[in-house]
Amino acid sequence: MKTGMLCNDRRNSMPGVWLITGCMLLAPLSAHSLTRAPTLKLFPTTVLEEIRHTGSVAREMETGLQAVIARLDEQQALFVASKCEGGEGDPGCKQIARQLGATYLEMLNVMGDRLPAMETAVTATTSSLEKRIRRELGQKKTPWTLQELLIAEDTAKDESERPALRGRSGMRLSDRFSQYYQLVARSGSRVNSSLAVVASDIYLDMQETAHLIARTREEINRATLMEQLNQSFGTITPEMQEVVAGVKAILFGEEQALTLSAPPDSDPAREYASPLQL
Amino acid sequence: MNSPTLIRLLGITAMAALLSACNSNPPRGPQCSLPEGPHLDQAVSAARFDLETGCEERFQEYFQRLLVIAEGDPKKENKARFSEFLVWANQEGLLSKRQAREIYNRYFGVKYVSLIGDYSVCSHTCPRQSQVVADMQRELADKEQGLLKVSADRRAYHRANRLFQETELVLEATCSACGAVE
Repeated sequence: MKTGMLCNDRRNSMPGVWLITGCMLLAPLSAHSLTRAPTLKLFPTTVLEEIRHTGSVAREMETGLQAVIARLDEQQALFVASKCEGGEGDPGCKQIARQLGATYLEMLNVMGDRLPAMETAVTATTSSLEKRIRRELGQKKTPWTLQELLIAEDTAKDESERPALRGRSGMRLSDRFSQYYQLVARSGSRVNSSLAVVASDIYLDMQETAHLIARTREEINRATLMEQLNQSFGTITPEMQEVVAGVKAILFGEEQALTLSAPPDSDPAREYASPLQL
Repeated sequence: MNSPTLIRLLGITAMAALLSACNSNPPRGPQCSLPEGPHLDQAVSAARFDLETGCEERFQEYFQRLLVIAEGDPKKENKARFSEFLVWANQEGLLSKRQAREIYNRYFGVKYVSLIGDYSVCSHTCPRQSQVVADMQRELADKEQGLLKVSADRRAYHRANRLFQETELVLEATCSACGAVE
């Protein structure tokens, strides 16, 4: 994970900017709801607000953690550069290992402090979205009308306008929510089909995040105790490295090599239309 | 005359009768040989002839053979050839209109006939979500043959593929929200 990148990312850090941007983005949504019906009521203002709030909470957590994680990276690099791996008996190495362990404990504490707020935000958004998805997609649609909804404006859409599907994001948690918010606000004025995909994407992502948060919280107490013990011996466990790597992956994303399909090469205007076409 | 001799005599007589019948009236049952060669139009004509003359039970095999022949010369116009062939099959009473539509769309349509259904997603689709997705997956393979290999319509296949991914995602979320995940 690129911790250097984290330090450069200061976008959207002011709550005022969020508020103004939010109001501007919401404006077309309400105008749209007056002019075009029926619309898919997946993202009422309350849900949108919850997504925005979850993004803010995630950003706060990242901000609190990025300095600690950057320090952890530095100490880890120093540990490796000093050839301390396997040479823990050396007093200098012991010292570095203790510092590393202390920073690790600090990271766990920050996470322990911030995770409850994150958990609350994620649970609220998941619950609201769940109700909306159940009603709008699960109960009001048949599989056929759901398919028609998804394909409806397929031809008009540019690939760049499409929401990226799950597992493709590879970005920080807060940026992901920020992107979700932008997607919902933008596509609210245009495409129902995208909304269904975005809603599903957010909902599944939230479920996964909630699961990870619960697991992380369980781990924190145990890891804290273990590290307090380790401090007496000054050792770096592989477990510590794993937890740090896991936190980085969840919060700050991981780079993934994406393979996209080749672009289409035909002219939609000249498509053959069979009398059997459904 | 004892009975073994009588049986033998009857057998010989029956055999002679059968042989003479074969000579005077050779059988003219349907040949039902699947069309060969690289030309789709000729293959369609041959298939039509056979299907009109007693081979209708093997319709699916003929259709598959025509697809394979068409793969040898993929082009957009092939969609129309297959559409005409299926319309003809409907007019001849080999297929109902619904069957003709479903076959055409299974291979040459972007939408999935696997998703035909009149009940809500929560009640009808979610209880058999994995089956529906598996059916769609198989249909995507047929669309690959029809749209990509036979019609050279990459754009339509790309859309069908995208639709599959999106539907799978939306179904996963919706069924989870419905509380009816298998």
